[in-house]
Amino acid sequence: MNNPKGSVLVIGGGISGIQTALDMADSGLYVHLVESSAAIGGSMGQLDKTFPTNDCSACILSPKLVECGRHLNINLLTLSELVSLDGAAGNFKAVVRQKPRYVDPAKCIACGKCAEKCPKSVPNEYNLGIGKRKAIYLKFPQAVPLKYAIDAKNCIWLNKPGRCGACAKECPAGAINFDEKPVEHVLEVGAVVMAPGFKPYDPSLLDFTGYGRVPNVVTSMEFERLLSPSGPCLGHVERASDKKTPRRIAWLQCVGSRDKNRACHAYCSSVCCMYAIKQAVIAKEHMAGELSAKIFFMDMRTHGKGFEAYFERAKADGIGFERARVHSIIPAPHGKGETGDVLLRFANENGEMCEEVFDMAVLSIGLELDSSTVALASKLGIDLNGDGFLKTQSFMPVLTQRQGVFVCGAASEPKDIPQSVTEASAAAAEVEKLLASARWKETKVKEYPSERDLKGEPPRIGVFVCHCGINIASVVNVKAVTEYAKTLPHVVFSQNNLFTCSQDTIVSMTDIIKREGLNRVVVASCSPRTHEPLFQETLREAGLNRFLFEMANIRDQDSWVHQSEPEKATQKAKELVKMAVAKVASHQPLSEGKLPVTKGCLVIGGGVSGMQAALNLAEQGFAVTLIEKGEALGGQALKLVRNWEGLAVAPVLSELAQQTISHPNITVRFKTQVKDVEGSVGRFKTTLSDGSVVEHGAAIIAVGAEPWVPQGRWQYGYGVDARVKTLHGLDEILKKSQTEALEALSDVNQAVFMHCVGSRIPERPYCSRVCCSHAIEQAIALKDLKPKMDVFMLYRDVRTYGRREHIYEEARSKGVIFVRYDLERLPKLEGVGARLELEAFDPVLGRQIRLSPDLLVLATAITPRKDAGELSKFFKCAINADGFLMEAHAKLRPVDFATEGVFLAGLCHYPKPIEESIVQASAAAARAAMVLAKDFVPTEAIVAEVTPAKCVTCGVCGKICPYKAISKSQVTGKAEVNPALCKGCGACVAGCRSDAIRLKNFANKELIAAISAGGC
Amino acid sequence: MYYVVSEGLRRFNIPHTFEFLSIINLYARWIREGRLVVDSSWNKEGLRFTVQDPCKLVRQGIGDSVADDLRFVVKKVVGEENFVDVWPNKSNNYCCGGGGGALQSGFVKNRRHYGRTKFDQFAATGADVVITPCHNCHSQVLDICKEFGGKWQTTHLWNWIEKALVR
Amino acid sequence: MTAPDEIAIKKLTLKLKAYVLEKFKEANIDYCLTCGMCASGCPATGLEGLDPRKFLRLLALGQDDELLSTNWIYACTICGRCKHACPMGIDVGRIVYLLRGLRPLEDRPKSLQKSCELQKTSCSTGISNEDFVWVVNDVLEETCQNEPDWAELKAPIDKKGAEYYLNQNAKEPTVEPEEMVPLWKILHTVGIDWTYSSKWWDGANYCMFTGDAKDWEYTLRKQVETIEELCCRYYINTE
Repeated sequence: MNNPKGSVLVIGGGISGIQTALDMADSGLYVHLVESSAAIGGSMGQLDKTFPTNDCSACILSPKLVECGRHLNINLLTLSELVSLDGAAGNFKAVVRQKPRYVDPAKCIACGKCAEKCPKSVPNEYNLGIGKRKAIYLKFPQAVPLKYAIDAKNCIWLNKPGRCGACAKECPAGAINFDEKPVEHVLEVGAVVMAPGFKPYDPSLLDFTGYGRVPNVVTSMEFERLLSPSGPCLGHVERASDKKTPRRIAWLQCVGSRDKNRACHAYCSSVCCMYAIKQAVIAKEHMAGELSAKIFFMDMRTHGKGFEAYFERAKADGIGFERARVHSIIPAPHGKGETGDVLLRFANENGEMCEEVFDMAVLSIGLELDSSTVALASKLGIDLNGDGFLKTQSFMPVLTQRQGVFVCGAASEPKDIPQSVTEASAAAAEVEKLLASARWKETKVKEYPSERDLKGEPPRIGVFVCHCGINIASVVNVKAVTEYAKTLPHVVFSQNNLFTCSQDTIVSMTDIIKREGLNRVVVASCSPRTHEPLFQETLREAGLNRFLFEMANIRDQDSWVHQSEPEKATQKAKELVKMAVAKVASHQPLSEGKLPVTKGCLVIGGGVSGMQAALNLAEQGFAVTLIEKGEALGGQALKLVRNWEGLAVAPVLSELAQQTISHPNITVRFKTQVKDVEGSVGRFKTTLSDGSVVEHGAAIIAVGAEPWVPQGRWQYGYGVDARVKTLHGLDEILKKSQTEALEALSDVNQAVFMHCVGSRIPERPYCSRVCCSHAIEQAIALKDLKPKMDVFMLYRDVRTYGRREHIYEEARSKGVIFVRYDLERLPKLEGVGARLELEAFDPVLGRQIRLSPDLLVLATAITPRKDAGELSKFFKCAINADGFLMEAHAKLRPVDFATEGVFLAGLCHYPKPIEESIVQASAAAARAAMVLAKDFVPTEAIVAEVTPAKCVTCGVCGKICPYKAISKSQVTGKAEVNPALCKGCGACVAGCRSDAIRLKNFANKELIAAISAGGC
Repeated sequence: MYYVVSEGLRRFNIPHTFEFLSIINLYARWIREGRLVVDSSWNKEGLRFTVQDPCKLVRQGIGDSVADDLRFVVKKVVGEENFVDVWPNKSNNYCCGGGGGALQSGFVKNRRHYGRTKFDQFAATGADVVITPCHNCHSQVLDICKEFGGKWQTTHLWNWIEKALVR
Repeated sequence: MTAPDEIAIKKLTLKLKAYVLEKFKEANIDYCLTCGMCASGCPATGLEGLDPRKFLRLLALGQDDELLSTNWIYACTICGRCKHACPMGIDVGRIVYLLRGLRPLEDRPKSLQKSCELQKTSCSTGISNEDFVWVVNDVLEETCQNEPDWAELKAPIDKKGAEYYLNQNAKEPTVEPEEMVPLWKILHTVGIDWTYSSKWWDGANYCMFTGDAKDWEYTLRKQVETIEELCCRYYINTE
């Protein structure tokens, strides 16, 4: 490939497209982000809260939208579509057609006067048609770009010129331009990432659901909008027929999924079980507990990290779960319910007919591909898979059949946000591998205005108070807080905003800072964890040092926790603002240093994940040291025969190992472990078990996990009777040649698989995610080898999520019989000896079944390694209650640790199948590359500072410091802080007995000022 | 029974030159074409009507389109405001309980237990008349109405068309 | 100790399932998710201790004796509501139909079997073809005489070349002949050219429900031959 281009085309502005664009733009590539609608955000923006963290979806997405919107190296093309793509990987020519917005984005100030005057109302598609918008509209309040657009189909003027024009007359900025024409952009790019997302299934095709026929039957997507603070009823759920607040809501699972008959979707949509539970939990919260919620389901699929615990919590909170399918929803007849109520009739698991009346029913609709994406795929020469999604490679789901064209997100298979975000980063990694030589060739450099000199200026504080839709304003009297702020010392300006993080507010904040001559800023809104960088950036753009800033969290710590006491919450908000004002008044401008980045990565663990991450980075041109505590590469995958699609693992594995060993940029060191870690992002120094020291800018932890050994009541004769095996034990037989395998199975006429051995139990509450697919794939292999063999699966919920549902179907079609069991009625093994007898209860018939297995296979749990915990301490990373390593944010930072420069991949994060490990490893590589691609890393500005006069040279601080940033001065013997190493944790400050160390902007003076301001 | 012929022709691959039609579709077509003129003004007392969608004609036969035609004809004949639909309906309707030879099979208790669902469904409409365009349904609906103390009258469709007929 | 209703499985023997699959290749018994959608939508759920889901389960577990003796196959009306919403599209009704066909003649519901036997000679109620022709003509004559407005009313039988062929459920000519008249009047008003046939005229057909496909096929073929001989372009089904 000669001189590849340093630009990339990303198609789709949902969370996947945004994440891949940001990763690439921050790693030295220029990105054209093409979005078909008027604003980016995709489906995630429409959601209310997200599982399993219950984060407000728009709130955690919004900073990314804004970042995308103002990123120097992201060219946002809204209302645009790809027309054609010619050329080959490295050198594509893309033609993108941009439809007219009819509003000049350079002029539009998003004041909304146009929409106020526009006489044409149309159904609001952002709210799934619930409620109206105007023909000139803003997609949603936090839209990026925050610019109105005219919908040409419905605009009166555009259909009959001269007939209306109200918006143009009203617009104070003269932004309306009815004469705008479509534009064609010809873009030269090196690669294309498709992130077109999904389309929610339309249940009006299923008459029995009653959707579109029976009032108050809504889809889950509609329900998200009903729950959302920015939705049609501002988060106060109402039913359409009579605006009544529903008190009894039913959710129906698998609508348009796992249905070959009517929906023609044989796959599982993967996300619906969790979103239904989340909706039930959140709806109950919205209604202060006054909600009776019930979820009707087939198999409960809570197979992701933290999902099973969420499910258990929902049960404990009184959400009802009924293992039954409702055949039909009908209007409740008189005598059984009020007008508008719905009646559900179902046979429960015992076969008894039941009737229940609800105020509302929510259909948990599945995901499918939009027809426009199908057209796009054919333009790009990408095939569809059997389920109508974009076809990708089995072991690397971001690669397509066309080199240089990648896919991420739900367009290749239904998947949740963390998995989409992981794929987005993985796609970025693959692009960076392809275009590494063109890094930084086409990017632009950000220039900030020089910082204003504040010498001699008294504090002039501006306070911005956020409504956050109803998130804050429904509890806290925002106006009163704003007025109160004006009375505080040094406050010269105060105002409230609907969404402070929206682009228009951010832009106007810059202007206000300049106009009012502000030199300190307080934002009273949400959490600094998600939003501080956004506001600090705003300060920089206004010429202020970013440390002259403070946040008051009046949402997470106030409105969300004091919903029932609005007056007290308002009082608390005032106090929080007062504290922030008091603190920021004494803030001083701080400066950051920068250190050169060590352009190498340490990868810990030589399994599939470790090798994949190492190879990707090596291909990008970075030096990699891969350490493996054993003597071979391959890890757990060495035991596997096939992936869920039936493709052999061994060739993939040996190819990976071969490449890893032979790559000039990779040093592999066996029988090696980490002994000690110093330094921080960009500048790590790690001591290995052989005493050698590796310097590296980033680290990827991929230490894997291990299978649990059946014991206690889950032993089922394992280790005692040779006929009892684990999945890996059976894999050893299935690895043999057909003749040898048949020989080994010659006495086996009945095989029984026991699922969830050691998973989903009080001692180990999580689901091990892969065992259902693994066991089923083995059952199919047994049936293929020996079709006359009887195969039974004793399961709790079949969790063949996504396209894996096909193997569940295949197993059934081959005669494998699935019998569900409960923890309360655990199958009993009897007569270990001549014959094994297993007694199980079949809930379908309500009878005992006595099996006589010749082979009993236990699908055992995957457990975290004990040494992962020790390793995590070296890098100051956390582990969760189950012992798996904990990512920075379950939803949006799935491969990052909270510690900068350290990333994770594979089984040490959570049980997952091989292709997901590979994707996660690439994603970790992309995130590591964001560090390694840069020449410098900024050092902490908030660092400790020693007052030598007070130091008594006791040396305690040096011992305490986890970053080895404190040493004794050669000259004076007093403590000295190396600002390049200090991370500002404050441990030394607390440890110093003579008050000789202070943390900049967190000194006693500032903290005491803040604390004494509290309790006003 | 519509399905007996439509499915039989298909399953046994019986050669034929005729086109197989339902009288319900024809009624609707004739009314639309003006060949069959009906006037609902006879229904001064506001007699309320509902319908039974025969499984063999609707769900297993032609589908929702014939159920829609049935409603179209009934509304024309008895007055739109006098029609009240049952739930569930059309292709998703409950069988009356007389189908599949149940009326002839002799398991009367089972048949009536089955028909109770149908009875409740009609009772919930509050209709005065249930139109059953199938003989099986007709007999079963008559029976369950009597058995469970229903207050409606069970009839064929043609009686009402005759009543509304304008020549 | 084996509980009375316990199912012991040393080796599955699936004779009945194999029979069903041989007769009905798309039966898809194994595809069942045991989700219970069918049971929820079936008015026969609980009758004879069964429902469609249990029925399929017994087949899959080879409980043939139980299936061959259960009268649930007569509680099921083969209405197809289970299949309508079944995510796997399993046609339980058609499997029920096959099992009905396996029931020995002497064990079948007598009236049902008799309806079919009669159908094979004339019609399901057993009135003769001659009686049918007589009743039609008698009722027609009476109507023409008593209702002057309808003096021109017709009820043609075996009219070769008529555009429309009309079947007639046997119930009316047998027990309530006057119920035939409204339809004649409607057809007369519309003005179509139609005819009955004097044999194989019955609109009902219980042979389908006995489970013997050959009887169903025989009676239908006979009717089709009759219509073909009359050279009718359309066959109107009256229900």
